[in-house]
Amino acid sequence: MIRVLVSLFCLVSFSSNNWVLAAPSAPVEEPQLIYEEDPSSLVSNIEVVIRTGSAEEPVGKQGLTNIFSELMLRGTKKYGRQKFQSTLERLGATLSVSVFHDQIVFSGEVIKENTFEFMKLLEEALFQPKFDEKELNSLKVEILNQISHIKNSNNRLGGLAIRQELFKGTPIEKPAIGTLSSVRKLQMPDILRAYNNVFFKQNMLFAVASPFKESQWKTALKEMWKKFPDGTPKTRRIFEPKVPETPTLIVVHKPKTSTGVLTFAQKGITAQDSERYALGIGNFSFGGEPLVSRLFRTIRGELGWTYAINSSYGAMGNLSYQPGIYTIVSTPSVEFTTKTLFKTLSSWQDYVRNGLRKDELSLAQESSVNSYPFEFESAQKRLGQRVYSELYGVPVLTQEEYEKTLDKVGNKELKKALKDRHTEKGWLITLVADKDVIAAQLAEEQKGMPHESQLKISKVINPSDLIQ
Amino acid sequence: MKCQTILKKLFTLLVVSSVGWSANFEKVAEKKLFNGETVKEFKFQNGLKVLLVSRHQAPVLTYQVWFDVGSLNEKMDQKLNRTGLAHLFEHMMFRGTKKYPDGKFDELTSRLGSDKQNATTYYYRTNYFESVPSYQLEKIMELESDRMANLILDGELLEKEKGAVVGEFRRAMDNPSRLAWDELMRLVFTESPFRFTVLGTEEEIKGFSLEDAQYFYKTFYAPNNCTIIVVGDVKDENLLSLVDKYYGSMKPQEIPKLPLKDEPLQTKERKWEGKHPQATSEILLMAYRIPPVTDPEIIPLSLISSHLSNGMESRLRKSLVDTGIAVGASAGISNRPDIFEISVSLSEKHSAEEAIRIIDREVALLHQSKISKTDFERALNQELLSVYGSIGNNNALANLFGEYLMVSGNYLRGLEVLEGYKKLDSGDLQKISKKYFKKENRSIVIVRPSRKGKVS
Repeated sequence: MIRVLVSLFCLVSFSSNNWVLAAPSAPVEEPQLIYEEDPSSLVSNIEVVIRTGSAEEPVGKQGLTNIFSELMLRGTKKYGRQKFQSTLERLGATLSVSVFHDQIVFSGEVIKENTFEFMKLLEEALFQPKFDEKELNSLKVEILNQISHIKNSNNRLGGLAIRQELFKGTPIEKPAIGTLSSVRKLQMPDILRAYNNVFFKQNMLFAVASPFKESQWKTALKEMWKKFPDGTPKTRRIFEPKVPETPTLIVVHKPKTSTGVLTFAQKGITAQDSERYALGIGNFSFGGEPLVSRLFRTIRGELGWTYAINSSYGAMGNLSYQPGIYTIVSTPSVEFTTKTLFKTLSSWQDYVRNGLRKDELSLAQESSVNSYPFEFESAQKRLGQRVYSELYGVPVLTQEEYEKTLDKVGNKELKKALKDRHTEKGWLITLVADKDVIAAQLAEEQKGMPHESQLKISKVINPSDLIQ
Repeated sequence: MKCQTILKKLFTLLVVSSVGWSANFEKVAEKKLFNGETVKEFKFQNGLKVLLVSRHQAPVLTYQVWFDVGSLNEKMDQKLNRTGLAHLFEHMMFRGTKKYPDGKFDELTSRLGSDKQNATTYYYRTNYFESVPSYQLEKIMELESDRMANLILDGELLEKEKGAVVGEFRRAMDNPSRLAWDELMRLVFTESPFRFTVLGTEEEIKGFSLEDAQYFYKTFYAPNNCTIIVVGDVKDENLLSLVDKYYGSMKPQEIPKLPLKDEPLQTKERKWEGKHPQATSEILLMAYRIPPVTDPEIIPLSLISSHLSNGMESRLRKSLVDTGIAVGASAGISNRPDIFEISVSLSEKHSAEEAIRIIDREVALLHQSKISKTDFERALNQELLSVYGSIGNNNALANLFGEYLMVSGNYLRGLEVLEGYKKLDSGDLQKISKKYFKKENRSIVIVRPSRKGKVS
């Protein structure tokens, strides 16, 4: 699959609105194609991006976008599921779909000799999906099993708890796969309505990297694209996370763990945020870059409390029109869990107040500038940059432009950005661990502190509740 | 379908020539790959091997350093006779030299613009790798060669690093699949050191001394136990003169020959069952003993693994996942340890025993009749896609060469296996499945949730 890159830095300034059109509204005559030719490639990569995602699902229908998209790959009006998949795989091809809050991406890869045979199958799947009732029931069972299985991943449980608390009552409160109750309720009429709502010409973007000429693709895609109806793009809704004003700790109770999964969350930033370069540079040296960040070097390197610790603005996917969340995640050994919690809080406080040291700032700038060529090292990566730019209305910077942009970031700019976008204490914290062990550790760590200023467990969640 | 055309194009591996000695190295071979690129192999007088694929589509390169040492060596070494040090030592390689003290290596490689910098340890090898802009080649080589030759092992830093490694160990122990793998290795191998984990135990990790680490470094981190693999925007002359400059003066060492104990022939099915507090559903692992990767029989076995688990139409996907019995199911070849592994992650309401019955049925089908032409073609083309799709990536190609070099002594073995598929027919798959997929050659591990009432 062609990955749309999670690069904070390849974007430039853009005005921020509280709503935005999901796609071009004017009539279109040609399919929108972003193309990268790579004569040396032995495969073709094709993405079809639908500019509507799970954030547009009706309340209580979480998982609808995911299930109808997956169902499209399970048989067409011409071929049953087995015939469709078998033919596709015999071509030396794969076809999968990923659902995000603001887009659906169908990703195909095929050995080059069979590229245009594969395209016929892709057209079948997109234009004439069968939407078979039996396949829907079978898919629901599969998805329900996947949702239940989330309980096996402590990292995912921590993320789900954060999401549920910060976006309560909004369509992005739950993951794109949905929940056990919402998926069980989905029926075929929901599926058909959802498909018809999003598959129209103006909502489709084609992105291709292949060894063939662009003109060959234009011809092939136009034939497919003109079969779709015209439509009117929706305005995209923006959901703000509800972050507490003081540190608030929620424990997802998992008995007998050897490590805890500790996740801190604050409001994040959009792709168009004017402070993103400063915050990106700051985050690199604070916690974003493994091995060299301040958090890594102190909490792992000096103290040896955790194997992994990392901070990111990309916890909910690429920076987009949604502000998303900023997170710090670590997996300390159980006896160091609350020590890591308090150390992370004090490190953050110091960072927000003082920004970075000179050497940390120069490290982030130098490293980011020198590694920038990797964003363009292959046709797929170049394509990813261009697709991202198109989806979020921000141009791709040249190496020189990028360097100049980062050079403008000093500690003064960073401190201002931190003050504008973050708070010292406004953290939602989730900890996947044994609640009794954590309660005892908190009491021990805060011995002698006034009761009212102690951090307490504000809520205990059962893992099963996160997926219901 | 253009399968035949593709096959004809596959792997015209042309051994061009051996070239004479330079001052300090010789070109051992130059071989053309099926995609038109060339891999060159060099050997320095101190035993250091260098593999190079020059490609100039982007101004970047991947630099990898592979050592022919892993947890097997430490377990077989009479002085050490434990596991976990090879991995702990890999961490210590980031902890500083006289010239670049603790933290400097990471900082400087980061400033160079390194991408995907990391290191890994396995049973039979340890590798260190990063990608950098091509103009940084000399700087990365200076840093890598410095830690290979001049590492300072500090007792205080060793203790700190043990904390991180214990954290890594415990994180692994929280994962029920990890327990299942460790138990599978203990079950399959009764004599061979594959039965001991790469990470070691918490007690072993905490017990390693500074002297152990110094002994390990001095014994195994030598140029004649090392291969450098470079893929990307670099010219031969430039690379070789820099290798000569930074590695040429390193002295070869006598590497202990530590032959693996022969594992006795398995004569009956083995089974282990256990519980894990973090498991919410059952996990099934199954292993059939198979020959090493150098054996021609590995080729049909690899294609069977594709038939069983590659794609939506694969047999395990259809019989286990589509039916709702499992969340995931896969089959694959593991080299050193040499096993054909099947793993199934069960759904909450289903049991490992159900999965075993279905796998037995699938194995019986493989024994009874040849797989269809359609299925054969599907399995083959899915294998081709996976290699074609990754070979253009510098890091992926270097990994492919490095892994096969370490496991078989032949970095092209992975591509030879792919080439070997064209000589197969479905009858070969039937024959090989009858030979190896027998209950008396099988070991089974089942991990169940600790809490009662979860599995019906």
